Amino acid sequence: MPEKLTIKGRTVRLLKCDITDLEIESFVFYAREDLALGSGFGNAISVRGGPSIQQELDNLGPVETTAAVISSAGELKADYIIHAVGPKFQEEDLEEKLRTTVLNALKAADQKGIKAVAFPAMGAGFYGVPLEISAAVTLGIIIDYLSGETGIEDTAICLLDSREFKPFENQLSSMAAA
Amino acid sequence: MIVNNGGTENLEITMSSINTRSHKAQKVIERMGKKLNRQIVGSLVACVHCGMCTNACHYVLANPDDPTYAPAYKADQIRKFFKKHYDWTGRVLPWWVKAKSLYTDEDLEELKDTVFGKCTNCRRCSINCPMGVDYATFNRMARGLLVSVGVMPEGVAVVSKDQWEIGNQMGVLKEDYVDTLEWLAEELQEEWGDPNATIPIDRTNADVVYSINPREVKYDPRTISDAALIFYAAGENWTMPSECWDMTNFGLFSGDDDLGGAVARRLYEKVEELSGKTLVISECGHGYRSTRCEGPNWGKLDVKFPMESSVITMLRYIREGRIKVDKSKNTTPVTFHDSCNNARSCGLFEEPRELLNLVCSDFREMYPNRTENYCCTGGGGAMSMSEYTPRRLKSAKIKADQLKATGAEIVVTSCHNCVDGLTDLIRHYKLGMQVTQLVNLVANALVIEKKVMVPVEEITADLAGYRILVADDEPDFVTFVATILEDNGAAVMRAYDGDEAIKMARHEKPDLMTLDITMPGKSGIEVFEMLKKDDDLKSIPVCVITGKPELRKLIYDRPTTPDGYMDKPITEENLLINIRKILKVHHHQETVESKKQI
Repeated sequence: MPEKLTIKGRTVRLLKCDITDLEIESFVFYAREDLALGSGFGNAISVRGGPSIQQELDNLGPVETTAAVISSAGELKADYIIHAVGPKFQEEDLEEKLRTTVLNALKAADQKGIKAVAFPAMGAGFYGVPLEISAAVTLGIIIDYLSGETGIEDTAICLLDSREFKPFENQLSSMAAA
Repeated sequence: MIVNNGGTENLEITMSSINTRSHKAQKVIERMGKKLNRQIVGSLVACVHCGMCTNACHYVLANPDDPTYAPAYKADQIRKFFKKHYDWTGRVLPWWVKAKSLYTDEDLEELKDTVFGKCTNCRRCSINCPMGVDYATFNRMARGLLVSVGVMPEGVAVVSKDQWEIGNQMGVLKEDYVDTLEWLAEELQEEWGDPNATIPIDRTNADVVYSINPREVKYDPRTISDAALIFYAAGENWTMPSECWDMTNFGLFSGDDDLGGAVARRLYEKVEELSGKTLVISECGHGYRSTRCEGPNWGKLDVKFPMESSVITMLRYIREGRIKVDKSKNTTPVTFHDSCNNARSCGLFEEPRELLNLVCSDFREMYPNRTENYCCTGGGGAMSMSEYTPRRLKSAKIKADQLKATGAEIVVTSCHNCVDGLTDLIRHYKLGMQVTQLVNLVANALVIEKKVMVPVEEITADLAGYRILVADDEPDFVTFVATILEDNGAAVMRAYDGDEAIKMARHEKPDLMTLDITMPGKSGIEVFEMLKKDDDLKSIPVCVITGKPELRKLIYDRPTTPDGYMDKPITEENLLINIRKILKVHHHQETVESKKQI
């Protein structure tokens, strides 16, 4: 099973790791509309990255669902965090909103001149987006985007465990075959 | 009996009703169809409203004039929309069976108040029901339905998200967890003068993989070092995983089966990755139930290795002669509180008593006990739902009466949740009892001949050179803490209100600050926020010591949390353990930072 796909020399990789501790130029944080970092990955960002990140976000929010804004990453290994406000808890038009959210995150990265972006399993876990939908939408949008005109050269999907990894691996495999 | 399990084709969920129902209410009803199984349906249809459950519930006993606490009434709040959408009686005789749908988001909020705020899922009503209705099981299902549409107490959301994304329900980061284990191992080696007295991390092919509750790392590291001492004394080939080590599972409380399965799977896969022989689960009621009993079902997994409670492990060591204990080392009268999950849901109630009688000389039974014992009132995730604290403490009266009647000075329990719940109610009802766990008593009773004595000076003066600010509005408490710290070599400054605390912190730049929450002038919460926003002061580690545990939102809700947290009353031993840990971890972090800068 492939864990990496190359499109026009640009890569999509699957990793099993903690996204907040990853050495990469930027990563996506599945954010709330008020841009409060909160618990979970938000807690790791606050503790490892320091208070400057939330202070910066206090001047950027609130934003609407599907929007993406960029902050610095404080003392984290990454340079930037892309705060993408995705749909949550079975809300209406979930898939469509998720597509737009992933797309907006990529566009925001491009506008900033960012070349490498890591994504979590978008919306899966706490916010209840089924893993199969998260995988199909996230990988589908990324692969489409990398096929067009973009400065992004490297994308990674950071997955927490085998439960998350498997559906993304299956999805990437079927997309590679297609 | 069930007309449809899939939800979407149910005749009752017609287009007209969809149009008048909120999106979330619609999703709750649809998802219910996917959650119904034989056990839940049996419980939903079997109630004859005989009232046998009523006096089994600690909420009812504390609120005898309020029928909304009765288990049958609470169950009816779920039963009514089950009847409306999934039971033929609701279609044919809706007025007779009181079938009623959910329509608005306010309906969901009302349901939240019942299923999260008026029940700890303790299952005492379940075992007292002549019809076999297991209310706690479908109460949990209802919680899960609400969680799936984002309707839940804030504390449940915070803890669930931490467990989903950080891997443990207190958001302990890997580096902090490993730091703590290494520090505890160093202490153990120093105390026993033996490099084998350690905490092996990620050792492969160990006979025991030991999993713990994150509360142990964050607030009660003594339970880890006591367990390590017991494993050392038993000559056990054991290990602790560096990741996926949390045996607790908030999915049991939130009703989220996906979370339950994900958390359990991570731990099981870690044991397999390390080729561990047996998974030992430290003393935690819901952790034991989730990991040993429910996890394989939630995760749809076939677990190939045995799992046991550390209570069984310790008892086994004594029976096999691997450790020797002397019960004359624990002479203070003790009683035992059965955790609901251990006793009622897992049948673990004789072994802890056998163990207690081996390591304590004065064990006094509490009545009622075993499967009939009353909940600590902090179960079912109640300790993380601060909005319901007054209700919880009111309902704790029956437990307080139980404890008082024993005449014991120490209450022992095999559950970290119960430790917090009991500590809280003991303070509220001014019972003056201490709470401890079996691991602490077993470790204290150990007879180890090869102990190497450490010179007294090293123990008594290990805070020498540290400057500590004690901020609390109770002069007696300040004197108590200051005396202990000064006896151990620290230079202590005292502040009696929030304004004075900030002023002294700015002026003195202490190495650590203990902080009360409720103080005149600026509260401890304001002081903490000011410290963390001030570049000159933000690096000062803070240990919150409070008599108001309902204010733990300070810990759970803020991006930057205190370095330590203790509930009053505190003991000298616990104070020193926490202060030493915080200073040690802080020193380690500073060393890492300075290395990075170099």
